[in-house]
Amino acid sequence: MLKHLKSSVSAVLLGTFVLGSAYAAEVKSIAILTPEEGTDYGWNQQGVDAAKAAAEAAGVEVIIAQGLGYGDVRPTLRELAGDGASLMIAHASGYNTAAPEIAKEMKVPVAIVDTPAGLEKGLVADYTLSGHEGAYLAGRLAAKMSRSGQVGIVVSGEPPSWNSQSAAFAEGVKAENPEVKVTYAVIGPAAYSDAAGGKRVTESLIASGADIIFGQGNGSSFGMLQAVETTKAGDGGKVYFIDVIGDKTPIDKGFLLSSVVWNITPVYSAMIADLKADTFGSHGYSIGLKDDSVKLLKTDAIPAETWTEIMALRDDVISGKIKVEPIYDAAAVRALMTSVSE
Amino acid sequence: MTGLFSEVFLGALLFGAVTAAIPLLLAGLGEQMSEKAGVLNIGIEGMMICGAYCGFVGAFYSGSLWLGFLTGALGGMAVALVMALLCVRLGLNQIVIGIALTLGLEGLTALLHHFQFSRSYPRLPAADATVIPVLSDIPVLGPALFKHHLLVYLAVALVVVMSIIYRRTQLGLNLQAAGDKPAALDVAGVDVMRTRTIAVLTTGGMAGLGGAYLANVGAGLFIPFITNGAGFLGIVLAMLARGRPIWVLFGALLFGICLSLTTAMQVAGINIPTDVIQMLPFLAVMIMLVLFGRRASLPAALGIPYERGAR
Repeated sequence: MLKHLKSSVSAVLLGTFVLGSAYAAEVKSIAILTPEEGTDYGWNQQGVDAAKAAAEAAGVEVIIAQGLGYGDVRPTLRELAGDGASLMIAHASGYNTAAPEIAKEMKVPVAIVDTPAGLEKGLVADYTLSGHEGAYLAGRLAAKMSRSGQVGIVVSGEPPSWNSQSAAFAEGVKAENPEVKVTYAVIGPAAYSDAAGGKRVTESLIASGADIIFGQGNGSSFGMLQAVETTKAGDGGKVYFIDVIGDKTPIDKGFLLSSVVWNITPVYSAMIADLKADTFGSHGYSIGLKDDSVKLLKTDAIPAETWTEIMALRDDVISGKIKVEPIYDAAAVRALMTSVSE
Repeated sequence: MTGLFSEVFLGALLFGAVTAAIPLLLAGLGEQMSEKAGVLNIGIEGMMICGAYCGFVGAFYSGSLWLGFLTGALGGMAVALVMALLCVRLGLNQIVIGIALTLGLEGLTALLHHFQFSRSYPRLPAADATVIPVLSDIPVLGPALFKHHLLVYLAVALVVVMSIIYRRTQLGLNLQAAGDKPAALDVAGVDVMRTRTIAVLTTGGMAGLGGAYLANVGAGLFIPFITNGAGFLGIVLAMLARGRPIWVLFGALLFGICLSLTTAMQVAGINIPTDVIQMLPFLAVMIMLVLFGRRASLPAALGIPYERGAR
């Protein structure tokens, strides 16, 4: 009896290993799910573009499911799994409950965000990314260029990625000039598409004295952009906007100062490689200045000598001379803002 | 405190509160009329987003905000027409149809936006303000309350108009009867279906107008899902206000003020969880309306399709 039991257990373990290896070896297609259209010059577009680029580089098919909103994506995940996706990238923090559930149900690996503790080998990987190094440089840039001595941060939520960038931005401002005040406001708990809220809150921060706005907000960032375009600073001059993740230069009307641009392609390529090597779900992923997966956007609004100084600071961050540690916790971010604004 | 609370900043906070309140006011007043007539209009979010899209398209291509408001109202009414047909005329489930309309319109407007604007993201110029002489010179309150787009004043005036309609006109009585005792209204020779259809179409127009204001003035642009649940907040306001337009106004303004208060608290650097701060508007509105609006009641036949002769 015991012998039979041992044999059965061995068979199950062997079967699991073989099946796992089969999953590991075969990556035929990847799918990405985004809450908004992949044309937002931001989070969604960078995700979709990166998935396309990574799939092309790996020679696999890519399935794009975009504009899904922030509701329940379980039916879409099941459909994509049924269509044969080898990896489903759930590109929204709002999907990080549904995606692991469907991964277990359909036995298809998923990648989620903002859940570093949610790793499950072979099944669930997390790619909580942070452009904090770039945000630090953006903070240095903002402090150099602010006329009023006050800059604002507007966010449409407090996911870990944005928290780390908000914190790094404030640290950059403080490092450049401790006298510059940083004001911070969240539009809402998950106001990613609240463009009117983005405009309203940004206008309030401008009225409080900020002349540079660091905005993180998916669709709501267009409201922030609208606010800087239609509201004058306290001195009657322009208010500038620093964006994150994407490059809004094509739609800029002269108010975009810079952007902390992310390139997610290396992350998705690494996921495909991990699937093939059977290491998927065993570790997280990161981006940074070193490999240019995080870059600060150069625009005409930045004077040449200021840009040169910023690039020198970039080299210092890469070399480790300047340490920028990510701060993911929202309470720690707010505490930092408090100390900065005092 | 940081010394950031200048007159300009406080004025901007109050201005923002009013701007945020107007779409809720219009949606809430619209929903209130539907509910008075016995139709639970869950599709108001869909009417708002359709109004936002149509309103933005109208304003963007014509260059006129007023034409945008008109197209927005018509867009909301077009959705309401479907609601009236399915729920009032055919007697289908109002909640199911309302949800279906909302989801459908969110998807449709996102799709249309994708084809039209997703590469250009056009923005409208700042809306012209109508300045009320003398009053606009009052410190803080003046710029915040008396330098808005004309539609803001009209929306507030609409509260008075609705109150008069409900209290002093035959139409108001008909609406009330259609919601409370539709069979009695029918016996009195008034067409219940017609009365309810008028109410639903008016709701659509007002919700569409609210959506158009949100897109054209509140945001200055249209993006998918821009209403962000404003229609559902309108339903909450209407339900809690229980038939009284003035309480919809108070609720909407309180909500807007609390939104601005949350911004003020954050700018002040008060380190408490943002989720707690963001609960404030919802809590405040619920507490106020439950405390002060509880005497009135909801219509007896709310949500029940009317069928002549049915028991």
